[in-house]
Amino acid sequence: MDRALRRKLTNGIFVGACGLATFIALAALVLILWSLVKEGVGGIDANIFTMTQPAPGSPGGLKNAITGSILMCAGGMAIAIVVGILAGTWLAEYGGQTPYGHAVRFLNDVLLSAPSILIGLFVYEIMVAHLFGHFSGYAGALALALLAVPIVTRTTEDMLALQPNTLREAGMALGAGRGFVIRSIIWKAASAGLLTGGLLGFARISGETAPLLFTSLGNQFFSLNMAQPMASLPTTIFQFALSAYDDWRRLAWVGALLIAVAVLAVNTIGRLLARETHRP
Amino acid sequence: MNDIATPISPASPNIAASTEAPIMTRPTGELVLEARNLDFSYGKTQSLFGVDLPVERNRITALIGPSGCGKSTLLRALNRIYDMYPGQHATGRILLNSEDILSDRGSLARLKARDGDVELNESGLDTSALRARIGMVFQKPTPFPMSIYDNVAFGVRLHQKKSKAEMDVIVERSLKRAALWDEVKDKLSASGLGLSGGQQQRLCVARGIAVEPEVLLLDEPASALDPVSTAKLEATLMELKKDFTIVIVTHNLQQAARISDHTGFMFLGKMIEFRPTAELFERPQSPRTRDYVTGRFG
Repeated sequence: MDRALRRKLTNGIFVGACGLATFIALAALVLILWSLVKEGVGGIDANIFTMTQPAPGSPGGLKNAITGSILMCAGGMAIAIVVGILAGTWLAEYGGQTPYGHAVRFLNDVLLSAPSILIGLFVYEIMVAHLFGHFSGYAGALALALLAVPIVTRTTEDMLALQPNTLREAGMALGAGRGFVIRSIIWKAASAGLLTGGLLGFARISGETAPLLFTSLGNQFFSLNMAQPMASLPTTIFQFALSAYDDWRRLAWVGALLIAVAVLAVNTIGRLLARETHRP
Repeated sequence: MNDIATPISPASPNIAASTEAPIMTRPTGELVLEARNLDFSYGKTQSLFGVDLPVERNRITALIGPSGCGKSTLLRALNRIYDMYPGQHATGRILLNSEDILSDRGSLARLKARDGDVELNESGLDTSALRARIGMVFQKPTPFPMSIYDNVAFGVRLHQKKSKAEMDVIVERSLKRAALWDEVKDKLSASGLGLSGGQQQRLCVARGIAVEPEVLLLDEPASALDPVSTAKLEATLMELKKDFTIVIVTHNLQQAARISDHTGFMFLGKMIEFRPTAELFERPQSPRTRDYVTGRFG
């Protein structure tokens, strides 16, 4: 076979394989989204946002679960962003090459893939079993934070490492201190990447069920008190989806759709913001 | 990580050990900056060997030489930007207006270990303040991710509290001196990243001179620019030397010949020949310089 033809053939096979793999991945995603929309949209009405979860057979909504999820995710992300960005910055700019830095990075990578149920048990042992003595929204938020911290840390470090050293030198050559250069130039230059880290973290924790079962437990009533057990969409879905009642199962589909839409919306808004601030 | 000065490859021993004295014609005017007998090491690799560099006020001093000869290293020693990296050390003396800027404890200890008893007092020199007096422009343009106005104001804000009106004056004057004002005066709030490469480099010059440094160090500032932008930048530098002292590292011999008053030719970490530019290019005394400026190697 002549060489040009063979190259053409190899190229065709490779591109075809890539296309096929993409199709398979996308098809799964589309199927999931499609079933979510098909089963979930029908159940959406005003009650979803105004009423708390019902007893089987009576009308109700997901107000308590939505509020709980928002509170605990927001709390978790607040902790994760502060800790993660600071830790990632330390790894990228200061101590990343020291033995301690290597140890921190390794442990962070281990945490990155730790099963979420373990995180839940860990927080249960500390907060639920000892500190508070009962389930609480705070414990839920902390468990979610522990899941998001390694993601934010890793992304922050990677994104800061991408910034050219000359940018740091240029700042310091004007007489700025190292910390000031990082805060006012490097973070800014990497802002889109830092945001991505936050979004990845949020996407990871927004659907987590296992750690919340051990920490916030769930609450069938509306509550803003994070010191008490708190409802959340994933735990409610878990409870309702396994139930024998059609109306509960319908609410579970709605809850799943809401999570998917929320993640999609937060990601889209984040991307738009990043593009806006980075437009030359 | 690879866009900083190239660490020098260890010189072949017979050349590095040669004791050939540098051919120096010292400037007759006032020196603003001077390196004396300067060694520099990247960790265990020594890349400058006893370099002298006199820099005359309000003149352009060019450093030429083949890649890895230590030009950029020398430049980076002059404002102590190497301090950022652990393991990089300069040993010797660098005088800014006769004040030694290598006077921290570590530098003095190395100087003592090398030269024996030296009469120098440790001083608590603030390297940040020092760098405000010695500006630097890099090979690749490094605009900060902020507006053109904020880019220029960045350094000034670090050191002085200025009113909006005062700052407007400083920004306009700096951009005018860098020959960029006419191109950007209507879009000062636009991002500096949106400018062309040549404009970005002149923005960096404007940012550097906004803090009114005494010396401006330029590390191959035109190597990423097209000929038109290069010409503009060179015209800017010629204009700037009325107010500032400029040290420029360049690979472009014509550029050195066109704009500089003094030229130093470096080779394998040593200053081979330092003389007024016209003399060095027309009557090079060292055979190495001759080979380099006539294009026989390098």
